Amino acid sequence: MERKDELLRVFSGSLRAILKRFGADFGKMQEIRLRAGLPLMVVWDNHPCFLSDDGQMSDGPAGAHRVSAEEVRETLELVGNHSLYAFEEEIRQGFITIPGGHRVGLAGRAVTEDGEIRTIKNISFLNIRLAHQVKGCADRIMPFLTEGGQVFHTLVISPPGCGKTTLLRDMIRQLAGGGARTAEAPRFAGDRNPEGGSRERTGVRNFRERPENGRFRRMNIGVIDERSELAACSQGIPQNDLGISTDVMDCCPKAEGMMMMIRTMSPDVIAVDEIGSRRDLEAMGYVMNCGCRILATVHGDTVEDVACKPVLGEMVRGRMFERYIVLSRRMGAGTVEEVRSGGGEVLYTRGGAPEREQTGGKGGGV
Amino acid sequence: MIWLRLTGCVLVTVSCGALGVLKAHQWKDHRKMLEELRRMIYLLRGEILYARSPLAEALQRAGEKSAGAPAAFFLRVAGRLAAQEGEGFYDIWQEELEDLTGTSVRQGRRLSLSRREIQELKEFGQHLGYLDVGMQERTIALYLEQLDMSIGFYREHERERVRMCTSLGIMGGLFLSVILC
Repeated sequence: MERKDELLRVFSGSLRAILKRFGADFGKMQEIRLRAGLPLMVVWDNHPCFLSDDGQMSDGPAGAHRVSAEEVRETLELVGNHSLYAFEEEIRQGFITIPGGHRVGLAGRAVTEDGEIRTIKNISFLNIRLAHQVKGCADRIMPFLTEGGQVFHTLVISPPGCGKTTLLRDMIRQLAGGGARTAEAPRFAGDRNPEGGSRERTGVRNFRERPENGRFRRMNIGVIDERSELAACSQGIPQNDLGISTDVMDCCPKAEGMMMMIRTMSPDVIAVDEIGSRRDLEAMGYVMNCGCRILATVHGDTVEDVACKPVLGEMVRGRMFERYIVLSRRMGAGTVEEVRSGGGEVLYTRGGAPEREQTGGKGGGV
Repeated sequence: MIWLRLTGCVLVTVSCGALGVLKAHQWKDHRKMLEELRRMIYLLRGEILYARSPLAEALQRAGEKSAGAPAAFFLRVAGRLAAQEGEGFYDIWQEELEDLTGTSVRQGRRLSLSRREIQELKEFGQHLGYLDVGMQERTIALYLEQLDMSIGFYREHERERVRMCTSLGIMGGLFLSVILC
């Protein structure tokens, strides 16, 4: 089924009709925002705009379709597959992941109990963030992550919406045996033409460096996919390509998932998205001390930002990570700002004039 | 001529007796179908409470583990939910229930339920999927209680009903024979 059709199935009939009439390239759609009583808004190709009843985009809200409370309710019903009880934990966290790995953010009135959020009721705001699988977006990163057949403990640092999950997904795919290299891998967003002699690279490592056989050694990867964004499992089967030697623990809390993976699946590498809590970091420390390699992502702007966080900062200062990849959306989502070693040595920095060469939608800038 | 009459009488008596036996079997089959439905509701409860499966998945799994009319009903609802055509759960539940309890459905696939049982099953679908897991648990418990009562009634009156139907059939046949002769 086409990606657009699959996504549209979670919208109420009237919204579905509007989105079906949407004429522009749906592949560049990044967000669809529903707010009860307010105009229908989308983010298309990094550009926030409004949609009219006939699916036309406009910069202003005049003439835009006004989303009714009923449309939001119907859409929520479909997002939750008529079974919101099955998403209690997700609702508590403020989002539901739908088939395809798309994340639906929820906002409404929080119901609290003993100071903790029990659920969200009167949900009137939905933000459907579209996941993008960009195969090959990690091509140019991979040489920095492996050496002598071993993967470095790697932390991807990025603000929200800059393509860290997309990048991590492709890193997993390549390490898990899907890493057949292309003859001419895509460049980083912002890199100048290599033939032009004015490349902005200051890295000490040659970008053209390849494993000799054109592939990385296939490894067993254990993915802890707490929010079903990496694998987008449907009834336990990954809908996204994560390579042929990947085991996925779906909807599992990261800390528990990492420990279970170590004990049961003997992975070479464990991948987790959006680490943050103390328990996640403690579990990660345990994994690192078990001879297993870590690929993780975290919200942040720079390595220095991350070094200021409790627990994670200690890990950074203790040089537990061997590689840091910093992303931004300066040249479009997925722009690699720099790659650093665990000791802080800059292996690559983007720098230079802000020329946008390639973004290819969300996450496509890598 | 007398042989012809006697043959006719025997045939009428046997036919009426068979009708009585058939009616008695319908009572038994109905009880069995309710028991099958109860078993499926238990499966559904396991899927919802233990596995936290969404309704489409839970109904599909429960339907696949059983056979007969209730399984066909569950599978049809699950199929339409999975298709996500924008319809509400209760609308689908109601439509499929009306469809499968209709007289046009062939025997074996038909949910032969009484009006009260259809109403109970409809109400069960109306509250399924609403609010949290605790609500699902209570909704299922309530329906199981109603089912238990129905099954208890059918079981309690089964023996007398079977006897009555069989006897009435045979006696009716004999009565008709006497009148016709």
